[in-house]
Amino acid sequence: MARGGQTRMPLLEVRDLHLDYQAGDRVVHAVDGVSFTIARRGEALGIVGESGSGKSSLANALIRLLPKNAIRYDGAILLDGRDLMALSDEAFRREIRWRRMAMVFQGAMNVLNPVLKIGDQIAEPMLLDERLNKRQARAKVESLLERVGLGREFYGRYPHELSGGQKQRVVIATALALDPDLLILDEPTSALDVSVQAQIMNLLKDLKADPGISMIFITHDIGLASDLCDEIAVAYAGEFVETGPADRILVAPRHPYTALLLASLPRLHGDRPPSPMPGEPPDPTHLPEGCRFHPRCPWRFAPCLRHPPEIPVEGGGFARCWLNDPAVAGDRFGAPLLVAAATP
Amino acid sequence: MSSRTLPAPSAPVSPDGRERPLVALDDVSVAFQTRTGLFRMGEVRAVNGVSLAIARAETLGLVGESGSGKTTVGRVSLRLIEPASGRVFFDGIDITKTPEHDLGWLRKRAQIVFQDPFSSLNPYMRVIDLVEEPLVIDGVHGKAERWDRARRALEDVDLVPAGRWATRYPTAMSGGQRQRVGIARALVRDPDYIVADEPVSMIDASSRIEILQLLRGLQTGRGVAFLYITHDIASARHFADRIAVMYQGSLVEVGASGQVIDQPLHPYTRSLIAAVPEPDPANRFRRRAVGGVAQAAGEIVHPDCPHGPDRANEPALLLPFTSDPAHLVACHVEAPHGR
Repeated sequence: MARGGQTRMPLLEVRDLHLDYQAGDRVVHAVDGVSFTIARRGEALGIVGESGSGKSSLANALIRLLPKNAIRYDGAILLDGRDLMALSDEAFRREIRWRRMAMVFQGAMNVLNPVLKIGDQIAEPMLLDERLNKRQARAKVESLLERVGLGREFYGRYPHELSGGQKQRVVIATALALDPDLLILDEPTSALDVSVQAQIMNLLKDLKADPGISMIFITHDIGLASDLCDEIAVAYAGEFVETGPADRILVAPRHPYTALLLASLPRLHGDRPPSPMPGEPPDPTHLPEGCRFHPRCPWRFAPCLRHPPEIPVEGGGFARCWLNDPAVAGDRFGAPLLVAAATP
Repeated sequence: MSSRTLPAPSAPVSPDGRERPLVALDDVSVAFQTRTGLFRMGEVRAVNGVSLAIARAETLGLVGESGSGKTTVGRVSLRLIEPASGRVFFDGIDITKTPEHDLGWLRKRAQIVFQDPFSSLNPYMRVIDLVEEPLVIDGVHGKAERWDRARRALEDVDLVPAGRWATRYPTAMSGGQRQRVGIARALVRDPDYIVADEPVSMIDASSRIEILQLLRGLQTGRGVAFLYITHDIASARHFADRIAVMYQGSLVEVGASGQVIDQPLHPYTRSLIAAVPEPDPANRFRRRAVGGVAQAAGEIVHPDCPHGPDRANEPALLLPFTSDPAHLVACHVEAPHGR
């Protein structure tokens, strides 16, 4: 593909993105000043967080599908250096959504149209786009069906004839219909069991390598994110609390929430029992003062009553935790975040 | 059939040297009728010759993919469905053919926790009504006694203070909290045995552990036996004493949890383990070998089986592995002492 050939300019740059909702007489800061970049083609960013952390809202904000109660939507979203915020809704729909950035919605495999052949469903965005005629669209759908591992004979089948994994492949093929540069995937495997999940992850790894699609992969499972993604961002209460290369985050997390997330995963090998995450996620309409994680944090200390900035950490990325600022943390600075093993 | 026969003495998968198992399936098969046309009926064999035993206060992890028959095994062990062949025992009592109206005692001693806490709890009922409902059905009429037992069940699932949770509605609760209500509903009858069918798969990864620890605590503290049905073999390592792996309606491997995972013998068990995305830098970006193509009934050969399909038509039996008699595998090559 010819697009996005510039060097040095990141494919996607997001700066200080905000999305607020009106919830009754209160305001929810669903996306609260999030910044990140996807530097090059074929790079995958994993966004990890619990329910209510704002990770799905962030996806909706990127692709500009906002709920009616959205009351603030600002910041900068630069795609190949072009500020998408300057585009009208109509121009965004025509030029960006689905053509440059496509999305695989959570649970999309369950809302395929039951009375439409799957080939015709995949062709729909192509025909709306009006660049291909029906015959060309059909040929393209057949090649997409092969690309996602289904085979062209699936064109005439109906959703009820397909397994869950096959339906998810159809959804991915639909997202690829207009050759996007960036694919946003919201929990694409959460309804699938481990083996089918592994097959879908294999497909995503292939698409990332060739044709080099960049991805934003949203999940609550940090293990799954690390399987596909080069960079990981951990979302908590509307913010990114830690970002960095997956290789660094897995072995040296610098935010207590990330360390606890990793410790809560049952490991296949070794008998160290997983440790439960303490506390409950905060009420989005009543966020704690200062560090939003501090009421649940085993490492909290006096400075946590002030809201920490994004503090750069060794090995790449940042952590929104005062433990990473030597001037604030004192002799706590740089100590590894060891989570006590749970009592069996 | 008489209602008090002892279980088959040689239930092939019973844990060695223990007392009589609480729950035992002996060569159980389950068939479902399907429509294959407007008038034609077909038959699907969901479970095929499964034998297993669960000791008192033991957790057996039953691991497999969707469609492997693991939920059906759970349901037949509760006699929610009747097997086509084989026998089912609970506490030594043959319940294979016992009519439902004679199973009242079993409905108190054996319970189920469902996968989806969002749809398995009536949204119009308060927590207290949900937890007391089984007691109302059992004819516990004393209000004070019902509340007393419901309060204990809520405390056992850490919904404390029970009085405050009692009046809440499930819709205002998180997935983990709702699943606690589901577990309290099962506990309020003081059961000996609980089938937990994918109890955490709908819950955030970070909240799963506290639910699983809670179940583990009920096992060790109250002596409840569990059949923990899951597709997540990594969680079974930590929360089950033994793991039984199911594939296409049959058991392919049974053994102590750590051993099944560290020394898997059956090719299918190996592929299940390879499919787990471990958060380990050395394990990243790997393409995972996964199989799972439908096989004809009776053949237990995984598509990736390195031993080839040449012996596929032989009957599949769980055979002891050479060095550990409690570690069984349905693989002709890996269990040389078996035949």
